[in-house]
Amino acid sequence: MGNTQQRDDTRQRLIRCFQAVFPKLSESDALRASANRVTEWDSVATMNLVAVVEEEFGVLFDVKEVEKLNSFERYLNRLSPGV
Amino acid sequence: MKLLEALQIANAPQQGDPFRALLVTGFSPLHLETALKAHLRLALAGRTVTIQTGVFGDIAAGLEKADAGSNAIFVALEWADLDPRLGWRTMAKSGEEIVGDARARLDRISAAIAAAARVAQVVLSLPTLPLPPIFHTCSGELNRIEGGLRRMVYELAASTRATVLHPESLRAGSSHDLRTDLLNGFPYPFAHADALAAGLAWLALPVVPKKGLVTDLDETLWGGVLGDDGPEGISWDLEHHTQFHGLYQELLNLLSDSGVLLGVASKNDAALVEKAFTRRDLAVRPSQFFPVEAHWASKVESLRRILLAWNIAPDAVVFVDDNPLELEQVKSAYPTMECIQFREDDARFLTGLRDRFAKREIREEDRLRVESLRTGGAVLQAAGNPASLDALLAGAEARIVVRWGKQPPDARALELINKTNQFNLNGERFDEADWNAYLADSSTHLALVEYEDRFGKLGRIAVLAGREREGRFDLDIWVMSCRAFSRRIEYQCLKVLLGRWETVRLRFVPTERNGPIRQFIGEVAPELAVRRDEFDSRCPPLYHQTESDYGQYSTTG
Repeated sequence: MGNTQQRDDTRQRLIRCFQAVFPKLSESDALRASANRVTEWDSVATMNLVAVVEEEFGVLFDVKEVEKLNSFERYLNRLSPGV
Repeated sequence: MKLLEALQIANAPQQGDPFRALLVTGFSPLHLETALKAHLRLALAGRTVTIQTGVFGDIAAGLEKADAGSNAIFVALEWADLDPRLGWRTMAKSGEEIVGDARARLDRISAAIAAAARVAQVVLSLPTLPLPPIFHTCSGELNRIEGGLRRMVYELAASTRATVLHPESLRAGSSHDLRTDLLNGFPYPFAHADALAAGLAWLALPVVPKKGLVTDLDETLWGGVLGDDGPEGISWDLEHHTQFHGLYQELLNLLSDSGVLLGVASKNDAALVEKAFTRRDLAVRPSQFFPVEAHWASKVESLRRILLAWNIAPDAVVFVDDNPLELEQVKSAYPTMECIQFREDDARFLTGLRDRFAKREIREEDRLRVESLRTGGAVLQAAGNPASLDALLAGAEARIVVRWGKQPPDARALELINKTNQFNLNGERFDEADWNAYLADSSTHLALVEYEDRFGKLGRIAVLAGREREGRFDLDIWVMSCRAFSRRIEYQCLKVLLGRWETVRLRFVPTERNGPIRQFIGEVAPELAVRRDEFDSRCPPLYHQTESDYGQYSTTG
């Protein structure tokens, strides 16, 4: 799988994770989601999002990096960097 | 279930009657709440499930949130709830004194559970997390202090009114995630939270137990083939390596004592079966089997006769046989019957079978069931002929006691309502909280009907409940055990109501299964309401001696 295709795949899986935690988000809303833009994004949602993304992608985020994961874009870059 | 799936189920739109659960944990409930909501929603399609959570760090205070609106209360107890030093977030070395401190906290939690159990069903899980390394002993040794703590929580399990989740029912695997425990106060890996939530939901919403088990004989109830080996050649012991059949017999013995109907369907020589049943070393008493269908006709025919004798629906019955072909044939004839192949030396076969019939309490009616079915055979035979039925009932010396009253609540009433299908006014089911709320209405009346005659005692076999409105009685609930059919008890029940109220209105709703009550209502109250004078003209002769018990005072008629 090429890098672009891999990033597209990651993006789609990440959208599913965001929509599971924030059911009201459309696909395009999910792509632009951030802690500032989504009113439901509170501390509980943060923990849910971290856990569901960790489960989906089989990764473990460092405790210190969790607070920096505050937007769809940052998650995507963390999971599929360098494209 | 994965967290992603649980979130999708928990967050999907829902509608229907509310089901309010209270989840009480000393830790952050986070994914346990999600998983529990998902499992409850899967089990309660058509209801709106909401979960209220307790108070962080204080189980007893969380339980105080329970009120009459709670349908179920779930408590996930952990060591830190007994003393913060026993939790990983604030672990501290401890000595013997921690047992006393934990005892004081556990007593408070125990009292709070007892208070909550008065308003709704409480389901409790015991600590699942490992203790942090606060003792000097190595992790392979059960420390004496830890032993004392474990004894304390098991004493709670043995004495509490809550339903307790068996600790060993949880899936093996790590129960602790130290990273998330420290990060956000949620101590479980999601897989453990999911297993715990599934177990808690299962206990709060148990399936209706099966009522009857039909067993094959050869290579099932015993090892060997009766026709080949003879009554002395069949076995169920260690010596012949057939002990598993003996264990199966012991299980049937247990089930019979708890009121499960046992029948036999075997292609066999009836005389040989009779002789085999005289063997004194059988673990199950032959008298516990009724009926015994031992002949060369098909198993489908045997099952037909057994269902007729028991007067219960096929979906309430489990059929056990070692022959897959026989199972297949019975399954084709009775698709809703559960047909299970006898699996030798498989512990899960025995536990799975027990779970299909599991009940929390054994009542007097459970012990009376088999005997009343035997004696009821004569009544059922006579039912086809009105003249012989009248003669039989006139000489039956039947006595009916109608016990009115809502306090203290009789659990038998709710049990009958939730498991009766055929003579059931509308098929409505209640959980404990809904039932208590219904009874709390000052206009509701509840009557439990007991029956016995010279053939034997049936026990508490019918429930009537409704509301008094403008001089009439609106009957909301009416169920009667199928064991009580053909004795005109239903007529006497209605007569008793019409003795108190001029008119009775019936809140009847047809269901797939309530044909018997539909037929009865068609005869006596086709307009779904009946006046005293109308009923008198429609009622056949009744021969029961009836007594109404109102608690402090009673009248005999």
